[in-house]
Amino acid sequence: MTHQRPADSRTVHVEGLARVEGEGSLLVEVRDGTVETVELEIFEPPRFFEAFLRGRRHTEPPDITARICGICPVAYQTSACLAIEDACGVSVTDQIAALRRLLYCGEWIQSHALHVHFLHAPDFFGCQDAVELAGLDLPAVQRGLEIKKVGNQLMEVVGGRAIHPVNVRVGGFYRAPSREELGALVDPLRRALDAALTSVQWVAGFEFPEIEIDYRFVSLRHPDYYAIESGRIVSSEGLDVDAKGISDLVVEDHVARSNALHARLGGQDMYLTGPLSRYALNYGQLSPLAHEAAAAAGLGAVCNNPFKSITVRAVELVYACEEALRIIEAYEPPDPPAVAVPGRAGVGHGASEAPRGLLFHRYELDDDGLIRSARIVPPTSQNLLCMEDDLRRVAQANLSLPDEELGWLCEQTVRNYDPCISCATHFLDVTVERR
Amino acid sequence: MSMDVLVAGLGNEYRSDDGAGPAVAAYVSERMSRVVSKVISEPLDLIGAWDDADLAVVVDATRSGSPPGAVQLVDLGAGEDAGSSAGPMSSHGMDLPRVLRLARAMGHAPRRVVVVGIEGENFADGVGLSPAVALAVSEASELVLQVIDEASSCA
Repeated sequence: MTHQRPADSRTVHVEGLARVEGEGSLLVEVRDGTVETVELEIFEPPRFFEAFLRGRRHTEPPDITARICGICPVAYQTSACLAIEDACGVSVTDQIAALRRLLYCGEWIQSHALHVHFLHAPDFFGCQDAVELAGLDLPAVQRGLEIKKVGNQLMEVVGGRAIHPVNVRVGGFYRAPSREELGALVDPLRRALDAALTSVQWVAGFEFPEIEIDYRFVSLRHPDYYAIESGRIVSSEGLDVDAKGISDLVVEDHVARSNALHARLGGQDMYLTGPLSRYALNYGQLSPLAHEAAAAAGLGAVCNNPFKSITVRAVELVYACEEALRIIEAYEPPDPPAVAVPGRAGVGHGASEAPRGLLFHRYELDDDGLIRSARIVPPTSQNLLCMEDDLRRVAQANLSLPDEELGWLCEQTVRNYDPCISCATHFLDVTVERR
Repeated sequence: MSMDVLVAGLGNEYRSDDGAGPAVAAYVSERMSRVVSKVISEPLDLIGAWDDADLAVVVDATRSGSPPGAVQLVDLGAGEDAGSSAGPMSSHGMDLPRVLRLARAMGHAPRRVVVVGIEGENFADGVGLSPAVALAVSEASELVLQVIDEASSCA
């Protein structure tokens, strides 16, 4: 972090944003007491996944796109499967869909447990990382680890292994786990659920910066369940479209400072995806226990404070554990574990809710089922403009802070999003300039 | 022998030479059934796996600039500095030094940690080790067995 502070103009440069994934930097320029420029620069190199999917078989996107991300591979696999199945005119059985949702619960549990306890919570204690936090609140760190392990177990049993599952295929799964295999997860999931409820209470006691932002929320919504792996895309302003509709509406622009594309609705409007959006647009679909936990934590039906996203994630953690238990209780092994998906010419779209937000894919196939074109729009790309807008507001409201504290707050503002910069490119340095 | 020993093969078998650690864990498992050998994909998962061990031997692929297949041993003992982390903590995993510091802070560290590294050459997507790395698996495995034997005889 560099510090130059003449009167009310200055530059703060935090040259390494920790506890996010990927490489980038943040520049905040302040002139005459006003935040003039906020730029999130993403210099993580582009990864060209969309280009090298061209010419591959229609069965390959789940395995190839899973490699985009080590923490949300199920999101990539699910959106890819949905899009290819759409292109080929195939629907999976209810049992396969339920197993997909169960696997996705495992990913939410892993990802949210890690972010809430290890990556985000240290901010509220003034700690550099979870190692320092363990010195202040050991039970909380232990609890986070225990919850995450249960997510790992779920991923291993359903997905074949905890990272980059190998059991997912277009049309379903290579093998359906037995009732007994899933039954062995019930006690660990019940313990994880209790631990998650404790964590909701824990994070609700944190001191949050006071800020309310009128976001344009966008997320999936399913008529029966809290949206995870399927549904239509809705917004707080009345949007209601399918996966094709959102793909048609979202325009991505390249900006010089960033290797990540910036997404806008209709080419104009910034919008927010992720926990705050899902919560606001799907509050009614949460379980009674999740409602109770949210209310006890002081959350209403909508949360507009981005710093409280940690509380929303903890509530979603409760929900994901409960939902996994519900699916296991009703589990009927799909037989066969996958439906046939013959390749054919067509265009298909698929959307699902990665832990950090909406992820949609589009594929065009030729007569032989080979991929002619692919489009992958990850949540962090969709959230970049909101991140910059949040940073502008947070920086402007806290200009009285010394540069080091302001830089920390800016980093925390980015971490509210649990951003995956690698997914979006495509680490973050933060610069605040006061002139 | 009354020692609890864990051999952890750290790595991803689907990223070419990153599978060196798992290959050594498999080799050791075949030759010394009394030790627990595990393949660990993510260093954070060491916590839990190694908690009650007297000795944890962590085998991992390295990228130090040494020739491919070069085998190195670092004995971290019971409290030595695990070294600095390669980068800031990310949402996508923690490296071994940070995991060891966290385990120690949580009271979950094994009594002694030995790291055996095999220099990798190719970390691209795909299965199979580079020839030099495949050749080094037996050397590294014998080194692991030697470390366990020596530790057991001192126990």
